[in-house]
Amino acid sequence: MLKTGVVQVAAKGTDVAFVIDEEAPFDVVAGELREYLAKQNGLWSKGNITVNVGQRMLARDELTQVKSIIETHSGLKVTRFWCSPESLGTGDFQIEAKAATVESSANTSGAQRQPPAHNEIAVPESLPDLPADSISAVESVIQDLRSRQNKNGARSRNRTEALFIKSTFRSGESVHHPGDVVVLADVNPGAEIAADGDIVVLGSLKGWAHAGASGDTKAVIIALELPSTRFQIAKYEGISPTTARRKSKSSASGPKIAYVRSRSIHVAPFVGRFARYSKGVPYDG
Amino acid sequence: MTGRTIVITSGKGGVGKTTATANIGTGLAMRGHKVIVIDTDIGLRNLDVIMGLENRIVYDLVNVIEGKCKMNQAMIRDKHDYELYLIPAAQTRDKNSIEPEQLRDLCAELEKEFDYVLIDCPAGIEQGFKNAIAAAQEAIIVTTPEVSAIRDADRVIGLLESSGLHRPRLIINRISPEMVKRGDMMDQKDVENLLAVEVIGLVPADENTVVAANRGIPVVHDRKSASGGAFLRIAARVDGEDIPLMDLEPKSGIFSKFRGLVGMNGRAYSHA
Repeated sequence: MLKTGVVQVAAKGTDVAFVIDEEAPFDVVAGELREYLAKQNGLWSKGNITVNVGQRMLARDELTQVKSIIETHSGLKVTRFWCSPESLGTGDFQIEAKAATVESSANTSGAQRQPPAHNEIAVPESLPDLPADSISAVESVIQDLRSRQNKNGARSRNRTEALFIKSTFRSGESVHHPGDVVVLADVNPGAEIAADGDIVVLGSLKGWAHAGASGDTKAVIIALELPSTRFQIAKYEGISPTTARRKSKSSASGPKIAYVRSRSIHVAPFVGRFARYSKGVPYDG
Repeated sequence: MTGRTIVITSGKGGVGKTTATANIGTGLAMRGHKVIVIDTDIGLRNLDVIMGLENRIVYDLVNVIEGKCKMNQAMIRDKHDYELYLIPAAQTRDKNSIEPEQLRDLCAELEKEFDYVLIDCPAGIEQGFKNAIAAAQEAIIVTTPEVSAIRDADRVIGLLESSGLHRPRLIINRISPEMVKRGDMMDQKDVENLLAVEVIGLVPADENTVVAANRGIPVVHDRKSASGGAFLRIAARVDGEDIPLMDLEPKSGIFSKFRGLVGMNGRAYSHA
């Protein structure tokens, strides 16, 4: 890995990534980048490059500048930008991102826009308010570099920050969060939690919970106690089993995990790992 | 003098808000405080009946707020020799006759004169509830050990917290020790765990409460009765005294002992 102050160049096999310091002001970055490429002229003669801008919120013209700096000072071609979903939500890309996903998130119920799954956003090819040649060439797909590098192979789902609810979530209260939701107390009957990610309740889940609300069937619900009679993962609905045999099995106390297997919701004792799903009790009524 | 304004609320109707208001008010007055109770259940006034002051009503809360009479013209002094006053609700008007701000201003006035301003809240979570909680700095929730009352209490606690009334305290009313012992009724622990708020009092189901209400003499006047004693202790706790909660013991009879022996203490209710 080469290092030149705020701009780091990481080469990994055939992949090359320019990682830019998130704290540094844009002018400094642009200067450093120009300087670095001038010095190394010839080394980067050819190839495709991905720019990871991390958490920073770059305006569209700034991205264009970065792209033009790289392309004019070397033989590289910028094909993709990576950035974190937070900057998608608040940065200038929001407009494009919204336009691109407005149909897929038609079921969005709240004021909060759901960042699309996988953080992959294709920047539309034509942007009327910008010089056509600067952007139209950028067939950039924005990805989250870190989700790709994650050695745990974590699902590259929505990476919006988790929402922490720190007091009892009571009847009549409801929340829809585009990420994971963690409740550090009980969820009482009559309360409603919908999360695009997982739901973890460090208490007793007696209210209604909907994990993977935007359709992610890999989402799970984990609770220290799961007496709830109704919950949902993606489009699958769990209804408490009514037959005595099943009831005695699944209502045994202890932490529980609910997940989707073969198109129905299963509930199993939670033993600290996601992997041990197989002994789950079918929980689809 | 700066008094405390406390709202007594429940969400569900018929759990004993008005009875609790009358008894805590009387209990605080018996402890030597100057107390005023306000009935905000406009259109369905009850507090005056429970306190036996129905015949003395001339002006009411809406008259005061609309400026038709002076504040102290609407105050009715209790029959007994205590510094206890009542502002009754209007019976011919509805909840929209007053605004939360108006009640807040009225209570701010009253706090200058009284040690305690108790607000009897109407059932529900609509306008009347909003009026009643606007003025209060503290809240007492009344519930009974029934799932429906607890569900509503849970909702109300959430609403109180979101309007800045944190740490409401809970009265569990009409506990039947025999039923708890048989496992047919939730006990204090169950309710406390579910609602996650401080319990300030346990009131046993007691015929004396009903008799006293019908006679218009709050049951705290009968210190020896089970519920009267319980309300007196609640008043003391509201007043800042540290009295541990008493375990409610069933009246022991041969039958209940027999049940205990044969092990019929299983739990038959379920948490919804």
